[in-house]
Amino acid sequence: MTEITLNFIVNGAAQEVTTSPATTLLSVLRDDLKLKSPKKACGQGDCGACVVLLDGKAVNSCLVLAAQAEGAEVLTIEGLADDGKLHPLQQNFIDNWAFQCGYCTSGMLMSVYGLLLENPKPTREEIKTAISGNLCRCTGYEEIIEAVEMTADELTKHLSN
Amino acid sequence: MDMNKPEYLAPETLEQAFEALKNNPDGAMIIAGGTDMVPRMRAGVFTPELLVDLRLLGLNEIRDEGEWISIGASATHTDILESDLLGENYPALIEAACDVAGPPIRNRGTLGGNLVNASPAADLATPLIAYDALAVISGKSGERDVPISRFFTGPGKTILEVGEILVAVKVPKPPARTVAKFTKLGKRKAMAIAVVSAAVRISLDDDGKISQARIGLGSVAPVPLRVQEAEEVLEGQKPDQELFAKAGQEASNGCSPITDLRSTGDYRKKMVAVLVRRALAEAWENLQAE
Repeated sequence: MTEITLNFIVNGAAQEVTTSPATTLLSVLRDDLKLKSPKKACGQGDCGACVVLLDGKAVNSCLVLAAQAEGAEVLTIEGLADDGKLHPLQQNFIDNWAFQCGYCTSGMLMSVYGLLLENPKPTREEIKTAISGNLCRCTGYEEIIEAVEMTADELTKHLSN
Repeated sequence: MDMNKPEYLAPETLEQAFEALKNNPDGAMIIAGGTDMVPRMRAGVFTPELLVDLRLLGLNEIRDEGEWISIGASATHTDILESDLLGENYPALIEAACDVAGPPIRNRGTLGGNLVNASPAADLATPLIAYDALAVISGKSGERDVPISRFFTGPGKTILEVGEILVAVKVPKPPARTVAKFTKLGKRKAMAIAVVSAAVRISLDDDGKISQARIGLGSVAPVPLRVQEAEEVLEGQKPDQELFAKAGQEASNGCSPITDLRSTGDYRKKMVAVLVRRALAEAWENLQAE
């Protein structure tokens, strides 16, 4: 079995990982790089618990082969906080009770972070679409949507000041 | 790792890809977005010895070629639904792309993957049937074009021969006064695999009669199905609700869906009549609103 050396950027830092090419990006992140925020759950792209950003786009990291991430930039929750200060999105999830058990939260946050990168002022419908690939068993989604709306308001206000 | 461990190659030219496929005709499989391949490898359904990844071949371009628009096989669902060029010309294709799973899948899953997997429920297949699209197939001995309606040969099976690669889909620009509609019945609003889907297109002549009609159905046959009998009901006629209902009934008569975990054959057959009628009515309404 040939192993490959994968070079890519994770949360802003260059990483080199030697692995088998058909290992998933999720396994590399969790097992090799010890980034435990992306969760392994359904393994089929149904639940969204493993969502990370790959070159700025939300993807199911359980469906991406490590070899396919060569040269790419990956962002996980561990890369959101700035010097220990939570990103407004994270803070608003907390303040708004946008999670209970927390299992979906990593993927949920990355899906909506990806949305805000492309669309800083999304409508409610656009937020719903952005999280349509993320299952949450606890919240009923309302608090999540509100946390995103709140963040979008804050960030756009901040930009216009 | 919980799946077999194939070798991996990301060729930089099509020739290298053909060579890899030729040297390992039984063990090589093509991977694109991986959204379907990876779970099936994990489930042991696919056990490739070699994965040939198309990601470096630049096959994701969406190009205006005058009479045609060419969509590279590696274009993702997101690429498709964000393309103004496609939106202006093929709204029903955009409707279908928007309905595929959720954003993380749409950001990875490709047009080529959706077609080559040859699921009878493939969402992009029926609008492409409705728009008379051609599959552009490339192999060592050259290129050939095959109508999408003939591309599928059975569940999971296509007309592709060993060593051939689907490189693009070419869609003719529709005539003036054309409308189309994709509609899908699923078990939930998002992330659903179709119980039944239908894509319809009608083009009108100067007298307001339907000069050309196309109807594609998903999840009702071993392959995405074109129902010509139902198209013939429409062609040459002036559109009205009664005609749409008749075409829907004919489409329903023209398919014999199976019962599976998503629905029963009987229900699907009844729903075909409803979806086709509704899609035609909505398309017609849109044309009158223009």
